[in-house]
Amino acid sequence: MPKTGGGLAVILLAFLAAWSTAPLLAQSDDPLAVGRKMLAEDNPGELWIERGKALFYEKRGPKGVSLEQCDFGLGPGKLEGAAARLPRYFSDADRVLDLESRLLHCMVVLQGFNRDDVVKRAISRPASDGSDIEALALYITSRSNGMKVNVSLTHQKEYDTFKAGEYLFHRRAGQTDFACVQCHGEANKRIRLQDLWNINDPKHIGEVASTWPAYRGAHFVVRTMQWRLYDCFWQMRLPELKYASDTSIALATYLQVRGNGAVIQVPGFKR
Amino acid sequence: MTRAGLVWILMGIPALIAAGCATYPDPAATRGIAEKMVGEDFTAPSPGLLKRLEQDKAQQLCSKIGGATLTQEEAAEVVKLSRASIQYPASGRLSGDWKIGNKLAHDGAGDRIQGGRLEKRKENGGLCQNCHALAPGEINVGNVGPSLTGYGRQRGNSEAIAKLTYERIYNGWAYVPCSNMPRLGATHHLTPEQIAHLVAYLIDPASPINSR
Repeated sequence: MPKTGGGLAVILLAFLAAWSTAPLLAQSDDPLAVGRKMLAEDNPGELWIERGKALFYEKRGPKGVSLEQCDFGLGPGKLEGAAARLPRYFSDADRVLDLESRLLHCMVVLQGFNRDDVVKRAISRPASDGSDIEALALYITSRSNGMKVNVSLTHQKEYDTFKAGEYLFHRRAGQTDFACVQCHGEANKRIRLQDLWNINDPKHIGEVASTWPAYRGAHFVVRTMQWRLYDCFWQMRLPELKYASDTSIALATYLQVRGNGAVIQVPGFKR
Repeated sequence: MTRAGLVWILMGIPALIAAGCATYPDPAATRGIAEKMVGEDFTAPSPGLLKRLEQDKAQQLCSKIGGATLTQEEAAEVVKLSRASIQYPASGRLSGDWKIGNKLAHDGAGDRIQGGRLEKRKENGGLCQNCHALAPGEINVGNVGPSLTGYGRQRGNSEAIAKLTYERIYNGWAYVPCSNMPRLGATHHLTPEQIAHLVAYLIDPASPINSR
């Protein structure tokens, strides 16, 4: 989806204008509604989709192969609807994997990339071109656009992972005594002006499960669920969550299963 | 029952066993699986910082799933542990300088870990603004916790109120076991002296939080 640089600048300016006047509008239900609506209609994250597609089909890595042989659960290279069913158990890895950890697996095993190198670059710097894995994750998820989140628990490790995620969502630790549920367990809550989604609200959890990867306005890049989880632990003053770790996958599994039925539409847009 | 039906049932049983009848693990198994993950899935600049992931007894009791309520015994234990944790400033003064408290209440930084580094500052922010309404007219405030606007105007600034306020910031679980409020003193996020400044910010009649 080609876009001119000027068009992008106008969108960003409109967003910034909406953001800076937010306190004046705080009495309305959604002070950022104007900026959000404009961005939803013309999301800069769209630019990442084409890049992700090109990366997917390009012969890359020390082994010089594309990702077409990567099986996301529906067969090698079958992307339509695949992200809607992730995380799931993969027998070749003997683990439950989410989209990003599956991508990492294939980039290492099929393409021969060094795992640590990919992980180190996985979460990009703000206002950068973004990472390969962010673009790939968005492209692959976009191939499930319009489909319902449909994560099923069949394999024992899927049940274990879901339950571990539920446990971790409620596990309080650190100097703030926070677990996820302290901020995401009640209706109509905010951290300062930022609305918090509520796990008990089907609409909210549906949005969580169906709008990542998303363009993050404040960072000018596409962000993924792995980033979202990492950043929450950072704000909670806990140690750094490892990319594609079992903890991250367990939490993602818990959230996706709870959000089953929501219609995927990516890239989402976040403040 | 027909002979054919019986055969199908008998053939089906081994198939079910082979499938392992996958199901939800029990709470003890879940805990084992999840705690193993926590032990392996985080990094920190020093081993001491990794200890932040370890739960104390009160945190364990306060991590029930899905809003399950505490038993009376558990609530009593959290209160007892929390009461025992509370320490007071060496000076004995429970109410400090509201101006310092005002700054602290609006400071949300300190002690976060990113890119292998600890965000080290002279002192941590109080984080209050994230969750509580503060002075009248302040809009950029959260609502996870109750409004504190007019806190001192409603309660006065007696010694008893100063002590109650100090203790509820130091370790609020002594009053409301397992509330969302961080135990800011007990977890050493804030020092006793910082908490005394926050007390002054809340109860001093001159503090903006008590202005009309």
